[in-house]
Amino acid sequence: MDNPWIRQNVALKEAHAELLTVTATRNHRLQATWLDPASGRQEQVTVDVSQEHFPSLTPMLPEVAWDEREIHDVFGYVPEGHPDLRPLLRTPRWPDNFRPLRDQPRARPTWRDAEPDNPALTVEGDGITIMKVGPTHAGVIESGHFVFSLMGENVLNLDAHLFQNHRGVESLLEGQTIDAVGAMVTRICAADTVSHQTNWALAVEALAGYDAGATLTLDRILLLESERVVSHLNDLAQIPAGVGFQVAHQQALAIKEDWQRGLQRLYGHRFLFDTVRPGWVASVDPENLLRLVHAIGRSWTPWRRLVEGHHGFNDRMAGVGVTTRAEVVRFGGQGVVARAAGKAFDARTLLPLYQDLRPVPVLESDGDVRARFAVRIHEVEASLRLIEQAAERLRRQTTPRDAHWRPPDEVSGQVVVYTESPHGLNVHEVAMDRGRVLRYHIRAATYRNWPLLAHAVPGNAVADFPLINKSFELCYSCTDR
Amino acid sequence: MSHIRHSLQIRHVDAGSCNGCEQELTALTSAAYDFQRVGLDWVASPRHADALLLTGPVSDPMARPVERVWAAIPAPKWRIAFGDCAAGCGVFQAAYGIHGGLPEADLVIRGCPPEPGAALQQLRDAMQAMAPHPDHTVGG
Ligand code: SF4
Repeated sequence: MDNPWIRQNVALKEAHAELLTVTATRNHRLQATWLDPASGRQEQVTVDVSQEHFPSLTPMLPEVAWDEREIHDVFGYVPEGHPDLRPLLRTPRWPDNFRPLRDQPRARPTWRDAEPDNPALTVEGDGITIMKVGPTHAGVIESGHFVFSLMGENVLNLDAHLFQNHRGVESLLEGQTIDAVGAMVTRICAADTVSHQTNWALAVEALAGYDAGATLTLDRILLLESERVVSHLNDLAQIPAGVGFQVAHQQALAIKEDWQRGLQRLYGHRFLFDTVRPGWVASVDPENLLRLVHAIGRSWTPWRRLVEGHHGFNDRMAGVGVTTRAEVVRFGGQGVVARAAGKAFDARTLLPLYQDLRPVPVLESDGDVRARFAVRIHEVEASLRLIEQAAERLRRQTTPRDAHWRPPDEVSGQVVVYTESPHGLNVHEVAMDRGRVLRYHIRAATYRNWPLLAHAVPGNAVADFPLINKSFELCYSCTDR
Repeated sequence: MSHIRHSLQIRHVDAGSCNGCEQELTALTSAAYDFQRVGLDWVASPRHADALLLTGPVSDPMARPVERVWAAIPAPKWRIAFGDCAAGCGVFQAAYGIHGGLPEADLVIRGCPPEPGAALQQLRDAMQAMAPHPDHTVGG
C-alpha cells in the first residue's frame, strides 16, 4: 500500500471513480485513467516499467486482473504479485518472445505447431464432471471456449477462455493514417459500431481542438440511439430463445428486422457501418426517422404486453444468474448488467454530446435475468424518445448543416474518450503522432462484464447457462479485438 | 446433384468475425427470410452437415478448430465463405492474428455483412448449381 501506483489507484476507486483504461504507453510507462462520475473529470496515474515489472493492482482491485494479464501477454511487463498470471490472449502457438504491441517492427509471427488451448481451471473431486463447450458451437454464435466443473447439473465453476477471435486490431491500427482508421474501427464490433466510430471521431476532434456543432451532435445522437435499439432488440429476442419461448423470440426478431430495414433505407446500412467520421456524420431527413419510430411503436407495444404478461417466462427469469451490486462495483461492471443490479452509471449523463437531452439511468435492483431483460425494455423506449427529441430539434434547426470539417494532417497528442455503447461504457485511448496512430487501445464494457458472468453462473443449473449468457449478451469481438 | 437440390444442412463456424455476419445469419432463420422453407438449416454437428459456412478472417486460435470441423463433415461437402472477412478481402487482412479467410471456397457470399435477402438468393442458386469438388467422393 505504500507504493504510489497502488495507493493512488486504490484511492480513486475508493472515491467511486470509474476505471476507463489501464495500459502501457510508449517510453516504458503504464497509465491508468479514471473518470470522476460527479464532475466528468479524468485523472491519470502512471508508473515506470523500465525494469520490466510493476506492482500488481489486482489483489486490491480485482477489476484489473484481465488488463494486467493482457499487458503481460502483449507487452511482456510483469505485474508482480498478480494472483493468476495465466495467459489471457497468448496461446501455446505464440513464439516464445512474441510481444505483439512491444516488438518493432510489427510482423506476423511464425506460429508454433501446437494446440491453441491454454490450461483450464477446474474443480477436482469425487463426482465432479468437467464439461467443455466450444470453441465451435452448435448454433450461430461467436466463438468462445467454456470449461464447466459440474456436480450433477449444478455448476461449481466456469472458466471462460475467450480471445479465440483475437485479430490483433490494436496492433493493426498503429501507423495508420486518419483516413484509414475509420473502416477498421467501424468493424471492431457490429453491435457497438456507432459507439466505436463516435469514439474515434471524438478523439481526433479533441486532439485537433475542433468543436462539433449542434447539428452534427444531434445527428450523432440519432445514430447512437438507433444502434442501441438494434442491439437491445437483438438481446430481447435472444433471452426468450434461451427458454424456448419461440413466439416472443420471433416477434422481437421481426421488430428488429423492421427497424434495420428502416435504417438501411435511411442510412444505407443495416448496422450503421461507416456513418460517423471525424468532423462528419451521416444525416437523414428527421421526418423519415420519426416515421420509423412511429411505425415500430405499433409492433413494440403488443410485444411488450406479451412478454410482460407471460408468467411462465417471468418465473423462468426471476432469481437466475444473479449479479449483486457489490460484485458489480468490485469488478467494475458496466452497462445493462450494472444498472440491472442497481449501479446508477450511464456514461451518457456525462457526455457533452447529449447536451440537455441526458437520459436518466434505468435501474433495477435484483441483478437477475429478469432485471437485465427489464432494463433493456425500458432503455429501448428511452432511446426511441431520445430519437424523437433529437429529431424534433433537428427539424426546427434553421441554420444549415455544418460543413464537413477535415482534420489537419498533423494531429498529434494523446486522449482518452468514451461513449455509452449498447453494452455499456466503451473507451478508446488514442495516441497520434503527426496524423498517424501511435497507439490505439480499446476497452469495451464487455471486457469488464465477462468476469461477472463467470461469477453469476456457479450455483445455477448448467441448463440455465444459455439463458444467463444471453441475458448478459456480451460480445466477443469487442473483447477479443 | 439432385441429392442437394432440396436441402443443404450447414455447420456455421465463426473465426474472428465482428458479429455482424452472425446477426445476419440469425436473421435468415427469422420469419422475414425463413431459410428453412427452402431446405436450408443449421445443424449442431458437423457429422450432420453438407457444408461448412465460415464467418471471419480466421483468427489463429480458430484455424485448427475450423480444420477439424471440415474434416468431420462427410463427403460430398462444400465450403461457403460468408462475408468479406471470410472471403479474404476484409479490413483486417493485415492484422497479425489472422490467416486471411477461407481457402478454396465453393461459394463466396460477399458483403460486410452480406444483406440477408441477397445471401438467401445466393444460397438457393448455389443449391441448384453446386457440383461436388473434384477430389470429393460422391456418396449414395
Ligand atoms: S465481413 Fe464485415 S460484418 Fe462480416 S465479420 Fe467481417 S467486418 Fe464483420
